[in-house]
Amino acid sequence: MAEKILFIIFASLAVLGALGVITRTNIVHGLLLLVFTFVNVAAVFLLTQAYFLAVIQVLVYAGAILVLFAFVVMFLNLKEFHQLEQLHGTQKWAVLVLAPILLAEIVVVVAGATWTSVGAGITPDAIAAQGGNVRVLGITLFNEMLLPFEMASLILLVGMVGAIVLAKKEDGASMALRDWTGDEEAAQAVVEQEV
Amino acid sequence: MTPVLVLSAVLFATGMFGVLTRRNAITLLVSVEIMMNAGNLNLVAFSRLYQPELMTGQVFAIMGIGIAASEAAVGLALILTIYRRYGSTDVDRVRLLRE
Repeated sequence: MAEKILFIIFASLAVLGALGVITRTNIVHGLLLLVFTFVNVAAVFLLTQAYFLAVIQVLVYAGAILVLFAFVVMFLNLKEFHQLEQLHGTQKWAVLVLAPILLAEIVVVVAGATWTSVGAGITPDAIAAQGGNVRVLGITLFNEMLLPFEMASLILLVGMVGAIVLAKKEDGASMALRDWTGDEEAAQAVVEQEV
Repeated sequence: MTPVLVLSAVLFATGMFGVLTRRNAITLLVSVEIMMNAGNLNLVAFSRLYQPELMTGQVFAIMGIGIAASEAAVGLALILTIYRRYGSTDVDRVRLLRE
């Protein structure tokens, strides 16, 4: 019973935070509300006994990704955001109808389905008997899920390289051309062509 | 687990609303993050429902978080590039392909 009450509290706070994120005109307020939403979702993870994920959620989402967003907001001209914050004119009303319809569809499907759960008998004690959430998760992660894990690391590497190439001051295409051929003039020609 | 799935649906719809209505590219990316979080919530809920002792779903949720991190990095680098070229982060101004 206590779990249900806690779930209702955290879930409603998360939804309120998310609604705040998409309605604030000040981007910094939106980011702070995003942290609030993520922490509440982490609490919901705790209630579904995904303890390790809850910690990762706070560390990676509420920590690392938010710092990334905050840095980019600092790079850009903040004054301009207020002028920019109008919504799309006609599109807004279409979405105001379509988003609730999508929500209603998912809720109808989810509520209508009967889940034949095999895990109804699995209690927190059963997982604790195997050594706890983190231990079971680690064993799964480094045994049968090893290939997806390595692929995730590769995706992170590609993302890192891509972010560096894109965000560099110099034009990305010309830089790659110069590095490959060592031809400074051809690279400059690419820059002028693009401008 | 149905309440968790409903929460995930609500968060997803909220994120979609944000993506489709806002014009600021950073708010767009933030809304995408909310949608990815809703997906992770779904993975965790179904993992709890069907394989609570195996946790394959939770491992995939960890992968989802990692992919969201790299997506945020690339997206923010794109936003910086767009800002340098167009002088704003208004997604309506980026219409080179339409003209």
